[in-house]
Amino acid sequence: MKKQGRGMASIMFGFGYGEGFPDHSIAEVEITKDKRIKVRTAGADLGQGFLTTMTQIAAEVLKIDPSYIEIVGQDTHKAKNSGSTSATRQTFFSGNAVREAAEEVMGKIYHYGSLYFNSNHPELTVKDGELYACDECEKITYWELAEIVEQRGKELKAEATFFPKTYAPDRKTGQGEKIYVAYTFMTQVMDIEVDTDTGLIEVMNVYTALDVGRAINPQNVHGQIEGGTVQGLGMAMMEDQVIEEGITINADMTNYLVPSIQDIPNFESTLIENNDSGGPFGSKGVGEPTIIGASPALSNAVYDAIGVRIKSLPITPEKILNALEEKK
Amino acid sequence: MSKKYVGKDVLKVDAQDKVTGEAQYPSDLKFEDYLHVKIKRATYPHAILRDLDVSKAKQVEGVVDILTEKDYPDLNKFGLIIKDQPVLIKVGEKMRFMGDALAIIIAETEEAALKARDKIEVEVEKLEVMSNPQRALEKDAPTIHNDIGDLCTNYIDPDVGKQNILMDHHLEKGDVDKGFEEADFIVENEYQTQHIDQLPIQNEAGYALYDESNDVIKIWAASQWLHDTQADVAQAMNLPKEKVRIIQTAIGGAFGKKEDVSVHLHLALAARHTKRPVKLVYTREESMISQSKRHPLTIKAKTGVTNDGYLTAWEVKVIGDAGAYASSSPAVVHKGMYHCTGPYNVQNVRGDSYAVYTNNTYGGAMRGFGTTQMAFAYESQIDIIAHKLDMDPAQFRYQNAYDIGSTTPNGQKLGKSVNLKRTIESATDLAQWEGEISE
Repeated sequence: MKKQGRGMASIMFGFGYGEGFPDHSIAEVEITKDKRIKVRTAGADLGQGFLTTMTQIAAEVLKIDPSYIEIVGQDTHKAKNSGSTSATRQTFFSGNAVREAAEEVMGKIYHYGSLYFNSNHPELTVKDGELYACDECEKITYWELAEIVEQRGKELKAEATFFPKTYAPDRKTGQGEKIYVAYTFMTQVMDIEVDTDTGLIEVMNVYTALDVGRAINPQNVHGQIEGGTVQGLGMAMMEDQVIEEGITINADMTNYLVPSIQDIPNFESTLIENNDSGGPFGSKGVGEPTIIGASPALSNAVYDAIGVRIKSLPITPEKILNALEEKK
Repeated sequence: MSKKYVGKDVLKVDAQDKVTGEAQYPSDLKFEDYLHVKIKRATYPHAILRDLDVSKAKQVEGVVDILTEKDYPDLNKFGLIIKDQPVLIKVGEKMRFMGDALAIIIAETEEAALKARDKIEVEVEKLEVMSNPQRALEKDAPTIHNDIGDLCTNYIDPDVGKQNILMDHHLEKGDVDKGFEEADFIVENEYQTQHIDQLPIQNEAGYALYDESNDVIKIWAASQWLHDTQADVAQAMNLPKEKVRIIQTAIGGAFGKKEDVSVHLHLALAARHTKRPVKLVYTREESMISQSKRHPLTIKAKTGVTNDGYLTAWEVKVIGDAGAYASSSPAVVHKGMYHCTGPYNVQNVRGDSYAVYTNNTYGGAMRGFGTTQMAFAYESQIDIIAHKLDMDPAQFRYQNAYDIGSTTPNGQKLGKSVNLKRTIESATDLAQWEGEISE
């Protein structure tokens, strides 16, 4: 018999390394004569969209189409430390470093632009890669300005470091003033169907509300919600590297089960955007939080459906059938 | 505050390259005249290496050389936080899990390297294999690492054996005993999570090349943190950082698994030794056995509740299976504990967490870093309590939810961007949740 259930989970995640670790990102932004804006960062894009996020941040600050932005420096000898792409930190850390470096460059655009046009700063308009002192006046491009600046022996280039402070917790009590730079919150509701004959669970719908501060790229945030949740469902229902007496007995993808396309539920999601966090444009990190709600939401839905509480993961058909048997 | 590019669905800048196959993953790189590297790994999960004979293996046609610890007696151990993992196991010393490397086989073809690997003869003296952290915590359990300095505090439960505890952490906020006294009832449960592989589609892989002109080893391999991998490789080989250059490739997923050194060190040694390009690609089996896992956590959670649905105290005991080497364990297990109450107001919190060495594949970073496991425990507790109270689980969460000014289990006061209640309102709206929510 198939039984429906609904479960909920709310979670929090303190991001960045925290705990007083010297967590920081360094980035550099440069306008070059070859009509490019180079953003130098060693940050790794694992597929989630780091490079795109940095591109959008630089484009926004420098008021230019993202197609002009080029991310360079994916090399220990070509860029300085950007910290790891982990701990849900890159949008917040490298994003702030890129934003600051881009703002420095914007300051230089105004400085050298106002010298060129012999105007004061407020009179200058900077837009779509061009600057001008009045609507009908001469316009020069960023690239032309880069050339002019080069003749002065200077560059339209700036480096910035984002280095917020956290504090190490007390070893005995774990207490501290600021352990993590900030927290991300999320609530999920999950609808499932449990087959009481086979013990199989089908996840039907996942409803998510994620407190993101601000989504730099909403589509990619939705991608994180869906990808994170599906990965979390693997933890909830199937994934288990079985190590017996030190030996892994399922070190292959035949016997180690992960969700596949047919396991993916319907998603409906809302992004809570109050622009109220310390990341660029009020954003905060979302990478890890999106996996965290899935296993408890599923477990709570299983209880709602069939009245049994499974306290060990993964919640396999075997565990469901055993629990139903015990309940009889 | 409308923005032109921020807040817009700008297409991923690397999407086209990935879709068309232009993106260069490690195996897509092209090098002339490169050599194949394979690793001979441990033959038993906990044993002293008594003999390692590569003589027959070296005779396999196409084998260029086989490197063992004898060739590099001065290498330092490596690791993300604590340097406890040997690059190659020395004869007379211990292998601690099935992923430990015994020899680096370098050959003209992959077939020759694999054939030679099968001909390496290994003699071991077996030790007790500790696969269960509960066993590793017993006072008579053998010690897995004899040479790691004592990183523990004095706050460890005196009834447990300390010899395999990598690190312990503790929480003490408010007055927990009083909090439990104030409770109308207490809910206590034990939760268990499992070993999980991050399972990125792309296994660990890379090339390396030694540039004799400037004495720099170049490594093309994915890393979640280029400069940290560089530093770890350099210190293990006693080199200045500048002599190790790591060039990022396209990354086929990571989820925490590409934080630790994997192919990098063995490639660096092989490249410098042969002065030819070298390539090492892990199989899925090798990746699963020798690189980090999500830690199984055993979580005992005890929660005090009033009849009107408020939380008076929360206590957890967390045991994390760190496996054979430290990796991210000194940060993961207690990060889980630091999230033990979930996003709910609890004035009195106590906790102990132990990261415990075993002979399993080591635990490391994986999406959520301990807090994913902990959420299974706290959100199960919350749901169980809501049902005991016969209260709507959404309402129960809402009335205990963090707000501006709430304090976390660490006593960190949340000053801004705490929109948990909005997420409960929005998610229940989307789901057309039955029942009203109010303060």
